[in-house]
Amino acid sequence: MTRAGRRFRRVAVGALALWSLLPLIPLGIWSVAHGWRFPDILPANLTGSSWVFALSDASGVLGSFAVTAAIAGATTVAALIIGLPAARALGMHEFRGKLLVQTLILIPVIVPGIAFALGLHGVFLTLGLTNSVLGVVLVHLVPALPYMILILAGVFAAHDTDFEDQARSLGASRAQTFWHVTLPAIMPGVVVACLFTFLISWSQFLLTLMIGGGRVVTMPMLLFGFATSGRNDLTGAIALIYILPGLVILLATSRFLSGRPAALAAPGHA
Amino acid sequence: MPDRKTVLMLAPAVIVLGGLCLGGLLVAGLRSLDVQIMTGTGTLSLDAYWSVLGQPEFLQSLGFSLYVALTATFLSTLVAVWAALLLRQRFGGRGLLAFIFQLTLTLPHLIGAIGILYLLSQSGLVARLAYGVGMIDRPSEFPALVYDRFGIGIIVQYVWKEVPFITVILLAQMQTLGEDFESVARSLGASRWQSFRHVLLPMIMPGVLAASVLVFAFTFGVYEVPLILGPNTPATLPVLAYRKFTDVDLAARAEAMALAVIIAVISAVLVALYLWAARRDRWT
Amino acid sequence: MNPCIVAIAIAATFPAYLANAQTAEDVALKTMTWDQIVEKAQGGTVNMFMWGGADNINAYVSQTIGDLLATQHGITLNRVALTDTVEAVNIVLGEKEAGIDENGAVDLIWINGENFRTMKEADLAFCGYTDVLPNDGLINWDNPAIANDFGVPVEGCEVPWSRAQFAFAHDLARTPAPPMSIPDLIAWIKANPGQFTYPAPPDFNGSVFVRHVFYHVAGGTEGLLRPFDKARFDEVSTRTWALLNELEPFLWREGQTYPTTVVQMNDLFANSEVALTFNYEPAQFGIAVQNGIYPETTRSYGLADGTISNTNYTVIPFNSPNKAAAMVVQNLLLSAEAQYEKTRPEVWGAQPAIEIDRLSPDMQAQFAALPAHPSVVSAAVLGRNALPELQSDWISAIEQGWIANVGQ
Repeated sequence: MTRAGRRFRRVAVGALALWSLLPLIPLGIWSVAHGWRFPDILPANLTGSSWVFALSDASGVLGSFAVTAAIAGATTVAALIIGLPAARALGMHEFRGKLLVQTLILIPVIVPGIAFALGLHGVFLTLGLTNSVLGVVLVHLVPALPYMILILAGVFAAHDTDFEDQARSLGASRAQTFWHVTLPAIMPGVVVACLFTFLISWSQFLLTLMIGGGRVVTMPMLLFGFATSGRNDLTGAIALIYILPGLVILLATSRFLSGRPAALAAPGHA
Repeated sequence: MPDRKTVLMLAPAVIVLGGLCLGGLLVAGLRSLDVQIMTGTGTLSLDAYWSVLGQPEFLQSLGFSLYVALTATFLSTLVAVWAALLLRQRFGGRGLLAFIFQLTLTLPHLIGAIGILYLLSQSGLVARLAYGVGMIDRPSEFPALVYDRFGIGIIVQYVWKEVPFITVILLAQMQTLGEDFESVARSLGASRWQSFRHVLLPMIMPGVLAASVLVFAFTFGVYEVPLILGPNTPATLPVLAYRKFTDVDLAARAEAMALAVIIAVISAVLVALYLWAARRDRWT
Repeated sequence: MNPCIVAIAIAATFPAYLANAQTAEDVALKTMTWDQIVEKAQGGTVNMFMWGGADNINAYVSQTIGDLLATQHGITLNRVALTDTVEAVNIVLGEKEAGIDENGAVDLIWINGENFRTMKEADLAFCGYTDVLPNDGLINWDNPAIANDFGVPVEGCEVPWSRAQFAFAHDLARTPAPPMSIPDLIAWIKANPGQFTYPAPPDFNGSVFVRHVFYHVAGGTEGLLRPFDKARFDEVSTRTWALLNELEPFLWREGQTYPTTVVQMNDLFANSEVALTFNYEPAQFGIAVQNGIYPETTRSYGLADGTISNTNYTVIPFNSPNKAAAMVVQNLLLSAEAQYEKTRPEVWGAQPAIEIDRLSPDMQAQFAALPAHPSVVSAAVLGRNALPELQSDWISAIEQGWIANVGQ
């Protein structure tokens, strides 16, 4: 490659990296600003009061963080229990109607949340599931489960059953085989799938708004509330708290991800 | 029929997704036709559809939604193919950019929308920098990039979020291909462009198509981004549907349901397109 | 009809048959003594749905009122934030439609105007209990501006909370001489293109701004303060739309778009994108200065031709499962201490809905000694030129007319 080409590449990579981080910059500045108005490029007064408020009981951030984590955790566990067998069937078996099942699993990926949530709202209302954490977990399963299944089906497609067969022939029970042979083999894939299912639930906005009815205050509900009340300073601080789990998950999984970058694409469509 | 065991393995997932997603669509469909499942009354009527289709705001919203989603998808795909080609080369800083792309993927849309708002509004950070270097004297001289009729802020947010998504998918796909085909092409005297256009591009085309159909479907249906960055009118279809749903006039509810069905049908067409594209193995 | 749909329908309507039991409980509630109600309210949770666009108001409700309720009555106050009050009305309406007559999600709504009318007309409000509240005696029900909510008789279906009067704000440093009447404003807008806008109705504040123009076009409120009159409306509104469309090219962004919410417009004012802003709650200007959002040189004012004032209320939905606790909340909101705290400019600055001269001399002195924020026009000055609100069917017609004739 020519020197000009290398320089162009350096500029291009720098531009892409900066561009990707750009929206976080004003959020970070706002979180420590007081009275930051046009045309000040940087705030004249810096303050930690937004952070103090965000971390105090008054803001409701910590409670909301816990509720959001509980909902995302429950969604992940439910998606794993439901998705694991389905993923194995899809990843390792051929059967009639497979295309139909695959299509069904893809529908929630394609059909926007608002299309099914409007109808679901009435049903949940009658069943007493609106305004409840349980209802929110159920509706989060719709976008979360397909990704759990798709990622795990990929894992199972590459899974070798020879060891399972051996364990069974040596007298291990189904459960023993699963716990001691299958699970360790698929563990990295399961971890990645779970973490990203968690992130999908963590990012939900409209489904929580509709089914939670404002009563289930997850982090995006809370953040939206501050963003639309004109408090850019508090919004900045809460936004940075909100993205923390994603960052932690990314750092924690980087070793699992080396050979599996596509798995990461899942939360992109949360 | 698949065997009993396979059925049992698939049943929970099929019941949950079928019940919640298809069930929700079905109920919306019935209510849009004025079949009131809540009270067991109502008539089969297309009134809600005629009413929606007769409103100028619907056609505006439909056009705006399609335009925003198509533009965002086209731009995201273009930039992502370029970024994937870039990231496929080995050089210092490549790991960092890959990491930043992965970071962007974990960020919720809401964060991106608020960040872009603070960045691109007429008094936002970019406008202040423009003022600082003397390009503008007051906010109104800065171009309207948010709350604007062209949906620029919305499109920018989508491109910001979806470029990493498509790039990561394409990189994964390229990884499985290896570099052999291209080197062969180059050694046979093909130019860089020719080897890309006639060798690599056809091979990654299914991935490009699949990713861009997903991006289109997603950007067509997202709610919070146009809510934060979009103009008051036209609203995108999901925003319009939610407004109708929260209208105290109960007649507007049937219209909201009709909009849900319309949104789903447009997306369903895309499912078909997606499956068709994904099943085409060879591209020439 | 599909038998399956019929089965779902029957299952869905079943709760409707339980409705009568609930009515009996409501009746019992109205005959209880206050002490019995307070006892029944113990340990309850009140889900209070309210517009959430001002964090100082949110903090007043969640912290100040929430803490008082928890310590005094063991009641948990759960504030639920709304972008628009209509969302809460819609929830109750949807529940009624679905036959949920006793276990609704909403216990209390901060409300007035069209939303109250909707609730009253659709029988969504719990009514006829307000005289049970001990602090009911502090309310002057003889004042027509309190006994009528945008022209709709309250009739014991809601409890007043605050009074408010519309005001404009400007930055003394940038706009030393703002227009002081609607005719002046119209001339000023044309002379200062791009410096003014208003939120698109049905935004609450955008809507009341349009009503000021409507009054101006009509030449006053004569003939407007009565049940909806189609002929009069058509005549005035046609000229109102013409005037607003004539102004459109001189608005921010040539009127090609309008802010969706008053918060968006406030942000435009904060960053000098527009020169004027307005609010139905002038105390918000002081709070915005306090939070560093507006410059210190912000000042506010009423109009020589008057600005519109209203009373806002809290209402208990018919299907609230925690009515006793909600009544205790309403009573506490009316108390001298809670109203005083709410009137403090650094807390909220909302004008009290109770009669100050019915309070103890000590409380009266405290109210009299409240400091004024330099950015907030005093309620007394504003009150000299107060205009009444239209009845809410006029308002719906104006909002829909604006969307069809100006907004599109």
